[in-house]
Amino acid sequence: MSIRALWIITHEKGQSGTVRFSKRYPTVERRAKSLAGAQYVAVPEDCEILHPLLTELGLTDPDKPFLVSRDDCARPQRSPALELRLEGRAGGALWPVLALVQGGLILACLPLVEAPPEPRPPLPGLASVSQALSLLAGVQGFLCGPGGGRLEGEALASRLAPLPSVLLQVCPLGTPLDSPPQAGAQPAPAAHSPAGAQKQPAWKAGLYRGRAAVTVALSEMARSTQYGRRSRQDLWDVHGSVSCKCEVEGVLPNVTVTLSLPPNGSPLQDILVHPCVTSLDASLLAASSVDDSDGSAFSGPYKFPFSPPLEQFRLCSYTSQVPVPPILGSYQLKEEEEPHLRVSVTLKLHESVRNSFEYCEAHLPFFNRGQLGNVDVKVSSGQLEVSKEKSLLVWVLGQKFPKSREASLGGTVGFSGQLSGPADPLCTGLTAYIKLYFRVPDMTLSGCSVDQHSVQIYSTAKPRITTSRELVSAEYYIWNSTGDAPVSSGLLML
Amino acid sequence: MMATTTASSWSQKHAAFTLSPSQFLSSTTSECFLAELLHDLRDDRASESTKILLLSLLQEYPNVLCPGTMAGEETALELLSIFNQAPPRFISLKCHLMLAITNILVCTSCVDRQVNVAEMFLDLLFQTVQDTNDHKDGQAFRSLRAVACDCLREVETCFPGLLSQKLEALYLLKQQETTPLHQAYCVLYTLGLKNAIHHLSRGNGVADGELKSVLAGNEGFAWKAIEKPLPPFPVSSLGQIPMLQTCTESKELKSIVSLLLEESYLLTPVFQAVLLRELVEVVAMVQALSPAIFKSQLLRLFGTAEITLLHATLLMKATFTDSLFTTEDENFFIKRLVGMAQHPLLSNTQKLFYMDCILHFPENRPISSNGEESLPVLVTPRLAASLLPTVFNDSSTMLCRLSLLSLVYMEADEDDDKGVSYLFNHLMALHRIVDNHGTREMTVTFFRAVFTFLSYFYYSEKFTSDLTARLCELYSRHYYLAPNLINLIDRAQECLGDSEWPIQLLKALQKQIVELPHPQLTLQSLSWHLKILGRVAREGQVPQRNSLCFLLSVLINSSLCAAGGWRLGNAVLAVCRNLLLHPSLDQVFIELADLLQHIMHHYNDTDIQDHARFYYTLLTNLSREKLSGVLAKGPDVGPAKVRSLSSIMAESDGLSSCLTIHQTKQPVLQLVKVQDSGAWEALGKGASDSIEEKEVLTIYREQFLSPGFASEVLLKCHLMHVGEVEALYHKLFSIRLHFDLTDSNYEEVQDVTVPCLKDRKPPVIHLKLKPRQPYPTRLHASAMFTTEDGLSWYSQLEDVSVSFPDIFLPLPVKTDWSQENREQLFDHIWRCTCSEESSQSTTSLFCFELGDRCLCDLVESNFHPYLISKDLKQESYKVLFFLPPQCHVLLNIANAEDAVRVSIVTDNWKLLPYINSYLKNVTSKV
Repeated sequence: MSIRALWIITHEKGQSGTVRFSKRYPTVERRAKSLAGAQYVAVPEDCEILHPLLTELGLTDPDKPFLVSRDDCARPQRSPALELRLEGRAGGALWPVLALVQGGLILACLPLVEAPPEPRPPLPGLASVSQALSLLAGVQGFLCGPGGGRLEGEALASRLAPLPSVLLQVCPLGTPLDSPPQAGAQPAPAAHSPAGAQKQPAWKAGLYRGRAAVTVALSEMARSTQYGRRSRQDLWDVHGSVSCKCEVEGVLPNVTVTLSLPPNGSPLQDILVHPCVTSLDASLLAASSVDDSDGSAFSGPYKFPFSPPLEQFRLCSYTSQVPVPPILGSYQLKEEEEPHLRVSVTLKLHESVRNSFEYCEAHLPFFNRGQLGNVDVKVSSGQLEVSKEKSLLVWVLGQKFPKSREASLGGTVGFSGQLSGPADPLCTGLTAYIKLYFRVPDMTLSGCSVDQHSVQIYSTAKPRITTSRELVSAEYYIWNSTGDAPVSSGLLML
Repeated sequence: MMATTTASSWSQKHAAFTLSPSQFLSSTTSECFLAELLHDLRDDRASESTKILLLSLLQEYPNVLCPGTMAGEETALELLSIFNQAPPRFISLKCHLMLAITNILVCTSCVDRQVNVAEMFLDLLFQTVQDTNDHKDGQAFRSLRAVACDCLREVETCFPGLLSQKLEALYLLKQQETTPLHQAYCVLYTLGLKNAIHHLSRGNGVADGELKSVLAGNEGFAWKAIEKPLPPFPVSSLGQIPMLQTCTESKELKSIVSLLLEESYLLTPVFQAVLLRELVEVVAMVQALSPAIFKSQLLRLFGTAEITLLHATLLMKATFTDSLFTTEDENFFIKRLVGMAQHPLLSNTQKLFYMDCILHFPENRPISSNGEESLPVLVTPRLAASLLPTVFNDSSTMLCRLSLLSLVYMEADEDDDKGVSYLFNHLMALHRIVDNHGTREMTVTFFRAVFTFLSYFYYSEKFTSDLTARLCELYSRHYYLAPNLINLIDRAQECLGDSEWPIQLLKALQKQIVELPHPQLTLQSLSWHLKILGRVAREGQVPQRNSLCFLLSVLINSSLCAAGGWRLGNAVLAVCRNLLLHPSLDQVFIELADLLQHIMHHYNDTDIQDHARFYYTLLTNLSREKLSGVLAKGPDVGPAKVRSLSSIMAESDGLSSCLTIHQTKQPVLQLVKVQDSGAWEALGKGASDSIEEKEVLTIYREQFLSPGFASEVLLKCHLMHVGEVEALYHKLFSIRLHFDLTDSNYEEVQDVTVPCLKDRKPPVIHLKLKPRQPYPTRLHASAMFTTEDGLSWYSQLEDVSVSFPDIFLPLPVKTDWSQENREQLFDHIWRCTCSEESSQSTTSLFCFELGDRCLCDLVESNFHPYLISKDLKQESYKVLFFLPPQCHVLLNIANAEDAVRVSIVTDNWKLLPYINSYLKNVTSKV
């Protein structure tokens, strides 16, 4: 369950890439050699890994439209493991190379294959693969933080500088012992706590001293694809995650957080929990979104007993098939005399949703038509912002829907005839969408909530408990019902 | 002697070295660089962070910097002494030293060979880990203890069984430790336990007493155990798991495992996964332990979001199947995997991995018992429907899902084709994207998706004929997709066996192209059409008349002849060349001849005209068989590797076989150094007049004024076959040997020609080496030769190694120099080198035990050509090695009472390590 080498590479479009960091584990390499026998392929030097890796990722020679070595149709990248064909005298193929690509940053890692190399063993049979994936994700989190986003230049250099000492702690000899600390997380306490009678968990670097405080934040994200046609079903679902920060004294304090649903609430499914959760009721795990709807499904309360780590963590996550989408929309486009389009949009806020938003906007992009020209559109509520260069209409609905809970937009948009505008190969002709962005504090669509009183801590003093919840839009699309919309889920077929 | 390198120059060196160690070392040697590293490690003026940077090189490249066990041993000793002398406040430095020593000892086989320093170091590691709860050394040393634990774990992993006699001690340490470091002791103990049980299980018979004594072991390291290394533990379903037979129910072992499982919650998730896997192997090996012991952990593991823990559960399933997992568990597990493979909060890479897990899900009752890979029965179309690909997936996810669902539908073999139709419609959605000028990535993904679909459903005419039509449509609007289409057709032909589809597509494309109205053709689009027609022309089953008529018509009626240029002309000729090999050539003979004639006379490029004329001549004068013989492709060689020095065309399509150089699959030849028989000419008897003593050195030095004096070393090698070679290679002619240098220490080596090689006496090659620096090196060797059938070949040979003694030359003086003069010269050089304050000179001393050998014999047999003088009575000898370009190594060998003392003087201190190892070599007793 070890890795042979790790690389961090930056790559700018059109350039050849640079190895910014590499780490090798020679003792693991020695094991690789004895396991692979005659089929052994050594980890190449840093300068020799660049081209094969970038070729497999399809990032080399951007000016050449077709290269067999890069674009061969018989070599689909359909597993997370890449096979790098090495150049030079030694040749050979390096497998299984795992790579995470985030913008211009590539993190790559080669786990050890603890099995005979021929025939090539399937990935799930190799314990090192999940270790390697976990380490890569950890290094990514250490460099970029949970939000992701582009990291380059000075910022990248300053994150790379402490990496060697972090790897010394989490993976000194090729077998990961722990995950690297995430960027932006609170730094671990400087001094180790002295040994006591009770065994301290390895995932808790120190002990907290002070008043007990627990923060539980429930964030639910709503996805939707609405077609507005009888021939095709609209889809929506939510997924939520519960994030906790616990400041509680003790080596292994016990905390229990309980999620509850209102009566007739749709059950929480696909529950995934953090490793610090000590036990789980089987009924919590039974509900799965893959199952056909099960009437007898357990619907709460969902108890999660755990002993918290020091930093903020995601306690659990779930999905849920809610009966209605929070906002039901309809979108119609009609081609009028070139180059005009008649646009008509209606948005209805469901009665179960609190009419109090932090923000609510609808984005209407127009692709492949050049820049916007004359825009003659009115909205029944909120404001309209027009961006001509981006060919985008932004309907800012603000903090509230009107009392009727319905808002509409209508009018015509013209195009200036200038050819340069945003292009999209999917949205041609009448295929177009609206994307909604909204956030509603203090509510969830599933009705799931964390009651303050349901948070139990076995502590002497009265703890300070803060709970919050929110509903946020994730991928929320409303497609033009007069045009073809691409299929977004195979379940439509059933 | 050596300047201390500053911190910034070290960080530059570090960067240059890690980018390419071979390149970095080509301007120095590993011995020199290592010596520099060690020197600065000992230097008090270097900062801790610089030293850590130096140590990182030793940690990551031990085999490069310490090429042998001896070098590893010496370096480890040095580092160990630095470790022991480092003040306690340099904890970080000590951690890195520990890691460096571990890497060096393991990788340079010092542990294998139970070298002294390895024993010492392992004892040090164990001593360090014994300080549980930081009692003795305090919290500041905890990080060192952590490193020591991991070093022991890694050593035990590399040498399973080393800790097998210490289990009791390790268990106590694990029990005592309460800091977060206890997870290291947990895993260390479990690993040791597993390996010990693995060792026991390989013995015969029942092992009750042995198991008990192993669990109670508190002795030293089990060096004997690692003499015969364990085979790797078989991975789940592949291979037999070794079983440990015990009569009694091992209560003790059971309680140990239970306690470890209870405490597993306290480990970090990644380490929990390691622990679980080791425990799974323990339970698998010990019959008396039931897998039900893991049941208490299952719920927690089933619900986890951690990939490593879920993977460990999957491995548990594969190992124990229905002994631990019920049918309900199994159903639940596969459903969970399907859910996770599309979970919105997991990363793409994780989801791809879970899809792979679904594909290889270890069922309790698999359908195929012969170990063949097939889709798990549980993965039904209904279950997998949520994983159907959409255009919103990224490329990898989409291709993975397409592949999985194709397999599902193929296995399900539905009547209504609903599933396959969905997949086909998905392909068409991708088609639409490419049609609307999608990016290159989308285009490549589309073709990959088409290939994937075809590989499962190529027999289904309903879809394949539709696909053909849509691909033609796509081509009609985007000619630049020609290479993608050709690649698709090539692969489909290779992989889809007897399918007719590739031919159908080619026919359809041909039809489409030849029907294009000429005014629509541009020179740019023509280049793509010609590529397609060229590919079509390679298919024996496709009639070619249409292509020819089209080409002729285009040549006559468009500006192609006038403005096409060399490239387009070449493309037309490529089609013609393929047609020359076509089985239906007779039917299109006239059309082809007309076409070639037209090109010959009208094409606006001389080269093209010439080639057309050549083809025309071939066509009209050679019979079909001869034609195919001349133009047939040679044996299958990779396109990049064929050295087409004498090809007709620049494009690598189909070269004349007799004009191509083929490459051998295996090395055919080797160079073996000639062992000197030892018949040397006697030392000069000084026929000429003696030179005045004070002139000796001057005259000697004057010789070097003439350029190239004594600058070459001749390496004699036999050129031989490599063992048994194919009959084809028994007789080789016109062999040309080429040598490439691997570093910059030598001048280019000239090629060597050998007229022929038959099976009899192997010819002797003289390699002229001209050193710039007298270091050992390796030469990459390759050969070009002709075989009896007239074909030319290229073959690589094993590297030629030039060792240090290969570079020796005897004293470069005229053969008629008297003995006296030689001795005088020796003494002069000795004195000069010793007294000079030159930064390059150095002296040294080497001693060795003679044992019961005769010194005279030893000296004669090894140093005869270099012997300057010998005094048998005193048992002292003077030896001089000359190494071009102008280095001298002088030895004064004297037999003292206890040992033989060899005083060494050289005018190039960098040679010392080589001299030392050379002397060790020739004087070792074995």
